Order: sequence, then C-alpha cells, then structure tokens
Amino acid sequence: MLMKNITLWVRRYVTVYGIIMLCTFFMCLLFNPTSELPVVSFFGRIMIFTLIALLSLAVYYSEEELTVKAWWVRTALHLLLLEAVLLPLAHSWGFWQSGNDILIYAGFILLAEALWHLADYSLNAKTAAQINERIRKNRLGKRA
Amino acid sequence: MRVTVERIEQDREEELIVHCYNPGAEWVSSVTEAASGQRMICGWREDTLHRLKLSEIFYFEVVDDRSFLYTQAAVFEAKEKLYEFERLCAGSALFRCSKSMILNAEKIDYVRPSLSGRFEAVLSNGEKVVVSRKYVADLKRMLGV
Repeated sequence: MLMKNITLWVRRYVTVYGIIMLCTFFMCLLFNPTSELPVVSFFGRIMIFTLIALLSLAVYYSEEELTVKAWWVRTALHLLLLEAVLLPLAHSWGFWQSGNDILIYAGFILLAEALWHLADYSLNAKTAAQINERIRKNRLGKRA
Repeated sequence: MRVTVERIEQDREEELIVHCYNPGAEWVSSVTEAASGQRMICGWREDTLHRLKLSEIFYFEVVDDRSFLYTQAAVFEAKEKLYEFERLCAGSALFRCSKSMILNAEKIDYVRPSLSGRFEAVLSNGEKVVVSRKYVADLKRMLGV
C-alpha cells in the first residue's frame, strides 16, 4: 500500500514537472525566444514549483465524497491558490517583471491546471476503456 | 476432478466446500461467484420482508444512516450497516465503489470517466452511479483487467 502511494505521488510529481516544463518552453518560445537560463538554479526552482503545485492538491482532501459541484468549487480554489503562491514566487525569482508579464504568467498557470486535468481525464478514459472491454468479453463469454 | 453433490434436509444450511490445489484458479472463482450469487439477504418494502439473492441486487447504499438495497426496479430497506453488508458479500461480484455504496459489478453496462476525476457506471437498468477513483482498482481486479 505504501509503495503504491509512493509510486502514485512520484508519477504525479513527474507529470506536473513535465507540464510546467512544457508551459515554460512555450512561454519562452513565444515571449522571449533568445533567453538563456542558468540550468541548475532554473531546474531547481521548477522542482520547488512542482512541489508547491502538488501540496496545493490538499484543497481536494475531504472526509466525505465530493459532489460534482464541490469538486468545481475546489478546482477554482486550487487555481486561486496556485496563482496566489506561484505568481509572487516567480516574481521574486525574476520570471516576470512588468504588468503584461503577470497576465501571461497567470494565463500559463491556468493552462497548466487545464493540462493537469486533461491528463487526468485521459488516464481515466483509458482505464474506462479497459474496464468496458473486459465487461464486453465477460458478457460474450457468458453467452457462448 | 471428482464432483460430489449431496442432497440435504431443509433444516440444514446449504454449503459449498471447494477442495483445490490453487484457490486463485479461474474455475474456483467461477464456482464461488456462482455460489455467492445464491446467498440471500433480507430487505423490507412496504412493511413486508423480502428475501433477495445477492445476484439480484444492483447496489447497496447508505443514506442518512439508513441502508437500502436496489434491485432492477425496486428499493428495499436493509438492517445491515455498510461494513456488515461488505462482509456478507465477500467473494461475490459486489464491491465497494464509494464511501457509501457497494455495487454489483455484474450489473454494470459500461463505465465512463467524469471531469471530476471519478467514474460513472451505467447499470443494465439505465441507472447511473458514481465509482470513486479510489475503488476503481478493486473493480479492475475483480474483472481481471
């Protein structure tokens, strides 16, 4: 059980890290294509970013089963929390400076959140397809 | 393999004992599943007590500390708590699908993902129930995915 949980969180960490790197790539490509980054400190900061993003998932924790409405409320809260923590942190690290930059940066955090849920949905769709295929086979087996 | 069927008197409880080399073998699961489908549970409906086969039950749900059994088209109230019912249907096709529900995997028509990170199971009577992500692994294990 412990091993399973560790694997799950490592997988989530890698997924979020990948999403942030993807967003960073497009952000640099579109707005600062000639930028040069100090590799060690940059990757280290992205690792901290990822850790914060994962810790923020605590807003989804609930003793009760979340209703769809409650899930949407918490998703909105999660996004607000990410923006509130990551924007000042990114500013202090010099990732953005001007008024326009903050809008672009906030937009990319929103995009990262959307990508996270999309990746999650895709995984669930794959699981559902496997289950449906098995149900179909079991049904055919019973009829035969 | 030797198969023995013994007729017993009505006052004795029916019982199935499987002597096998490998309890995880597919034929053992098939036999125990078939037998557990014959297990009975009591449910109340309009002041009448009904005996229901586990295989007839679509799902068991606890709402406001009251337990209910749902079949194809009827709802019965049950005395069992969730954990008691879970124990009763061990080895059958019924599995825990959320914090307050036990679902019969054989009654699932298909499942689909929902945006909220959970799954929706559409049952053979057209009803839709939620399967938490936490319990999807149990469903997969049960179906052999």
